[in-house]
Amino acid sequence: MAHRYIGKRLPQLDSFHKVTGIATFTHDLELPGMLYAKLVTSIYPHAKVSKVDASEALKVPGVVTIATGRDFPYRLGIYVGDRDVLAMDKVNWVGHPVAAVVAETLEAAEKAVDLVEVEYEPLEPVFDPLKALEPDAPLIHPKLGEYRRAPAFTPVPGTNIANRFVLKRGNVEKGFEESNVVIEKEFKLPFVSHAYLETQSTIAQYKMDGTVEVWTSAQSPFAVRYLMALSLGIPVGNITVNVPFVGGGFGGKAGLAWEPLTALLSKKAGYRPVKLELSRKEQFTSGAVRDGVYAKVKAGAKKDGRLMALKGRLIFDAGGYGDYTVNVSRAAGYSFGEVYDLPNVYCESLAVYTNKVPTTAMRGFGHPEAVWAVERTVEMVSSELGVDPLEIRLKNVVKPGVSVTVTGEKLRKDAGNPSDCLDAVAKAINWGGPVRKPGEPWRYIGKGISVFCKGPAQPPNAASSAIIKLNEDGTVDLMVGTGNFGQGTVTSLTQIVAEELGIPVEKVKFKFIRGTDSMAYTWQTVGSRGLYTDGNAVLEALEDVKKQIKEVASQVLRVKPEDLEIRDEKVYLKGRPWESIPLSELVMGYTYPNGNSIGGPIIGRGKYISPLNTYLDPETGQGIPTIFYTYGATGCIVEVDALTGKVRVLKAVQAFDLGKAINPLMVECQIDGGFIMGMSVALFEEITFDERGWVQNPNFSAYWVAHARDIPDEMMEISIENPQSDGPYGARGIGEVVMLGVPPAIANAVYHAIGVNINNMPMHPENIWKEIKKQKPELLEELKRKLMEIRELKVER
Amino acid sequence: MSFGAPYLTLPSFKYVKPKTLREVLEFLAEHGEDAKIMAGGVAVIDFLKERLTEADYIVDIKGIEELGGIKYEENKGLTMGSTITLYSLRESRIIREKYSALHEALKTLDPILIHRATIGGNICEAFPWMDTVPPLLVFDAELNIISLKGKRKVKLKDFIKGTAEIDLNPDEILESIFVPEPPVNSKSKYVKVLAKSEFGVVNIACLVSNPVDPSKRIVKLAYGAASPTPTLVPQVEEIFRREAPLNKLIEEATSVVLETVSPMTDIHASEEYRRYLIDVLTRKILFELLTAD
Repeated sequence: MAHRYIGKRLPQLDSFHKVTGIATFTHDLELPGMLYAKLVTSIYPHAKVSKVDASEALKVPGVVTIATGRDFPYRLGIYVGDRDVLAMDKVNWVGHPVAAVVAETLEAAEKAVDLVEVEYEPLEPVFDPLKALEPDAPLIHPKLGEYRRAPAFTPVPGTNIANRFVLKRGNVEKGFEESNVVIEKEFKLPFVSHAYLETQSTIAQYKMDGTVEVWTSAQSPFAVRYLMALSLGIPVGNITVNVPFVGGGFGGKAGLAWEPLTALLSKKAGYRPVKLELSRKEQFTSGAVRDGVYAKVKAGAKKDGRLMALKGRLIFDAGGYGDYTVNVSRAAGYSFGEVYDLPNVYCESLAVYTNKVPTTAMRGFGHPEAVWAVERTVEMVSSELGVDPLEIRLKNVVKPGVSVTVTGEKLRKDAGNPSDCLDAVAKAINWGGPVRKPGEPWRYIGKGISVFCKGPAQPPNAASSAIIKLNEDGTVDLMVGTGNFGQGTVTSLTQIVAEELGIPVEKVKFKFIRGTDSMAYTWQTVGSRGLYTDGNAVLEALEDVKKQIKEVASQVLRVKPEDLEIRDEKVYLKGRPWESIPLSELVMGYTYPNGNSIGGPIIGRGKYISPLNTYLDPETGQGIPTIFYTYGATGCIVEVDALTGKVRVLKAVQAFDLGKAINPLMVECQIDGGFIMGMSVALFEEITFDERGWVQNPNFSAYWVAHARDIPDEMMEISIENPQSDGPYGARGIGEVVMLGVPPAIANAVYHAIGVNINNMPMHPENIWKEIKKQKPELLEELKRKLMEIRELKVER
Repeated sequence: MSFGAPYLTLPSFKYVKPKTLREVLEFLAEHGEDAKIMAGGVAVIDFLKERLTEADYIVDIKGIEELGGIKYEENKGLTMGSTITLYSLRESRIIREKYSALHEALKTLDPILIHRATIGGNICEAFPWMDTVPPLLVFDAELNIISLKGKRKVKLKDFIKGTAEIDLNPDEILESIFVPEPPVNSKSKYVKVLAKSEFGVVNIACLVSNPVDPSKRIVKLAYGAASPTPTLVPQVEEIFRREAPLNKLIEEATSVVLETVSPMTDIHASEEYRRYLIDVLTRKILFELLTAD
């Protein structure tokens, strides 16, 4: 059947709100009687807090109260409860909140924070995760063994290991023996920022009746509510979480952030609402960023390119707390090499505490880190063997219905197909064909590809639900707790409702304030799960709605419900379209001419929970970790100015087997946005620390995020639609996978341009130059010579 | 230097907006150090927000007629009012045609900020990487400074005394910038290497005139972002007045430049990388200008 809304290029429903400026963000909100909070943060990376003297600060006119860690003896966290609300007795990084000032105005609060005197007893810090693993390293969380943790996690008390995960399948040592070529390489990724435009912002009011109301810039209202209740010992139903428009999340607003602190401050300040908004600097130094990684990967292959074994050690630098990062490192561990059909694989993945800024989830969730190491390794195996990079990948990628994944899951026939993605990308960049001749002798052009996949890293029992209410006039309220922070899932869900009920999309009302009191539960909006899980719940709710409508209509029209069809805001008798009842006459109950009425308001409900996922074996990591895999491939053409080390992407192509593009326009935007974000991380982004553990570049002057001028000259987006039978219309998620393969594709292209392997990100000019100098010093000498020989030079772009 | 502030608010100050230059100068004469000048506000607002500077008064000089405008006199030179925006300068035909190194420098700047940022602010901020400074140095810019006590002129190369340190008294204001008519048949260029921030790590401005005739040949080189203050390397001019193969002169000039500029390490780049960039890019820019038709 032809679809009316599925597969249509609708602009996002909230484009109007954002373009006109009527969209309201937490940042914009002010409540009557609202107070402002400001953080006092640590200037030491590791220290005991011996004294906090707020007496001078309290004298500042307008200051209402000042709280310290001892006021709030709670532990927070989603997977490991290793966070404090304010430092209780010890600070673990420069920027660790020690106290909070609450005042009538932000000016007063900002004046007062400078007057809070904190006395520290400095402790020995550790910044390098490898050093933090050494037996005599200073302990950052001495009480690690006492923290609450989710069942899948295994912190190692008495060490700085927040989590250890092992993936084991086959016998890697045997695999290396059977290989013709074995290589082992090291990789590094720096801390990076989510760089969302709206910094974290929260308003909370703890009320005298024991209820709490929160307005916050978060991805998942229900997770905020549940984790807050759990941490603070408040009944879940006492908390209301409202999420207005959100200025970007990228994983950094998943789970729980500043809501408990803000609520507790409200209580301490006499039950008045309190707002806490981070400055950009605070976002870099006190909020959580993306982990840094050190990785070592060993790979073995036969002469023909068949991969025989892959072994990895991934060390995630979790910073001062690992709350969410324990699962990031776990996801990297179980997804290690998962796009390939590997007879032997082993990966040990650790999350390790250091005295740096804490870390959390970010778009890709451990996968970009693992994919970087694996796709660079495969490229180096390919060049070592002289097997074409495309061929080696096509030879080794999983085949749906045939292959077994690294976690021991036999792939379903409709799992999607990475080979299709590789083929599409190779064709689009004319893989194997010639490259354009660069304008100057020190410019080199190369092509690169990568292949990868991702599924949602959610607990096996993560559930979704949906409520669909029909209004008097036949308009529809869609109530599902999906977050709306730019990714567009709400638009797709609305399209599904319009499609199934046969009504114009304008009649489906999706509220842009996401709230726990008015929406149906969904675990979180993370991990590219929204469309798939919440979409399935919406589809079930729609079946319920249709059943109820047909039940009433069948009585009125005196036919069987299955002979009815809903379309164009009417219920029809199949084959006799002139016999119909408008929906608006049914939805609140049908009234006969004499006044007798039947039916009643129609409310549909639906739910989704994965029947297939399992916990993973604690020894081997084997099991079914995810509900789907979205396969993808990235191809790009880059130009390297070997004289300065500057890399520029000329052409970018990405292909994804997403099953079905519910909204191709949004899919293309996701693919392009994912490429640019991935490119930005690959080429520029890096949070740097000085020797005292201070962030050196906590703003967007010194921390470069790709600008318009950095965007590739040409971008192509390819959707491959091998449907998955249990996805909504066959769809799989696309939100994160779009940035996974970009860094290795660029690095692989750099290799093909200048023959230099880049294994540490970011690939900014100085790092490229250093690697050329290390690996190919003769190239620099040659270029300098060329420079002195050339008489006629073209003027630079 | 801007490394981000924990603050969301500005400290309190009084905002003053005089209508004439005279009023500005009178205000400065009275309040001296307690008053800070704001043109575009790009720097001063940042500094206030980061509590790097304090001011009882912020004196807004935007829109004061005597401080705006751009005036070119054939064979004499170009005078730019200190509050003229970098955008207006970027769009100026005279600058594009006669002072191309300056035009190229302006083209590298953030397309949004340049609508507020001014030439006077760019110079007076006196950070190593300010992009207008190296081109103005090779064009031998002269600054007109005014106070109630009178006017004085100072060469740009003498005006910037260190990082964020300038030769300007609290009662004085930068009125305008004068760049003389460039030497006949001259060409100029600007090269900027952006690494991982909005600031260049090595910025080079170069001017060349009469490349084939050593007796009339003029070569000027100035560097920004590489060391704590932008540097004009005057020895280069003498080197290129000599009669010798160009390769040899370029080699010599490059080593003199490296000695004079003394590159630094900061969060944007290492000394070693800057040294390398200066080495190759000096050769490159010299070749390009000396061998252009």
